[in-house]
Amino acid sequence: MAVLALAGCANDPAPIEQMRLTEQAITQAKAVGATADEMPEMKLAEDKFNRAKGNMTDESYKNARMRSEQAELDARLAEAKVLTQKSEEQLNVLNTRIIRLRKQLGDAQ
Amino acid sequence: MSLKSKALGGLILAGCASLYGCAGQHSEAALQQASSDFQKVKEDSNVLRIAPKDVIRAGESLARADRLSTYWGSGWDVAHYAYLSQRYSEIAREHTNLVLNEERAAKLELERQRLQLALRESKLLSVQQQGKWLEEQIVALATTQTDRGLVMTLGDVLFDTGEAELKNSANRVVLKIVQFLQLNPKRVVRIEGYTDSTGGKQENLKLSRDRAQAVADVLMDLGIEDKRIQVEGYGDEYPVDANASERGRAQNRRVEIVFSDEKGQLGAAR
Repeated sequence: MAVLALAGCANDPAPIEQMRLTEQAITQAKAVGATADEMPEMKLAEDKFNRAKGNMTDESYKNARMRSEQAELDARLAEAKVLTQKSEEQLNVLNTRIIRLRKQLGDAQ
Repeated sequence: MSLKSKALGGLILAGCASLYGCAGQHSEAALQQASSDFQKVKEDSNVLRIAPKDVIRAGESLARADRLSTYWGSGWDVAHYAYLSQRYSEIAREHTNLVLNEERAAKLELERQRLQLALRESKLLSVQQQGKWLEEQIVALATTQTDRGLVMTLGDVLFDTGEAELKNSANRVVLKIVQFLQLNPKRVVRIEGYTDSTGGKQENLKLSRDRAQAVADVLMDLGIEDKRIQVEGYGDEYPVDANASERGRAQNRRVEIVFSDEKGQLGAAR
């Protein structure tokens, strides 16, 4: 009885909410265009989330929670990086346009 | 946040995963790395302004890792929270970069609009300058600058004898007139036909009118509105030279184009 109780104590509750959050974060990162091929963080997120799912099946809940927590932040970082990249591309486009305009203005004057 | 540190973090975690409760050395390194990353974002005023929540989370995770590091056999947990802290620092940095880029883009967009406007104005100006140049050309072509205003004479050689049709050789000057009128949309013209004194009065009147009309038709064909064009035929009246010589008669056979001023004020017809 005592041993069983101890084992129970050592086990964390099932991180159902965290798994849901992580899945959401991965979906969101994918929605802005983060792919495992181009973003190492995205690959980490997907790998860890898959392992966390395995841990859930094994009822190894502590591992599941940790992997899931890390995967969530990996996905969020991947998403943030994609968005930053896009904003950089937009800056480049704007700069190119401005250079072209300046050149035309220089020619016109 | 170098790739190296990320790789290191990953390595430590992988190591921990396999060894379980690994030695404190690795987690200590992770903790130090997370701590130094946190320090950097914490001291960056832009990051604090733009991503304060991520900075707070990075700090909280770091504090947790720090606390856990005092316990025995907690290497796995320490490394975990150090990893989370590092991630939050990185995310804070990325969010900051994104917002800074957006702020820069907003400024550049304003600059772009300003330049675009300036370019449009300069193009307009160059069109106006072109108009001015054309005006000089027209003035140069106009043989008489009389009290009737700006007058351009299309000589007899532009028509076949007794015919009202304009020859192709008149194209250049006609195109110039069209361009000039397009650039000066308020100006209007009166096209006046004249003949020499040979032939009957009525025939001459008709021929002079037909020739003036022929010029007007070409202008209209080229896009000048008909309401901007008046047509008059004066026959053999108002000769510019004596009709006694062939040369004088050739001078008298002509079409004159009288231009209004820029406001559209045309001198009175004869």
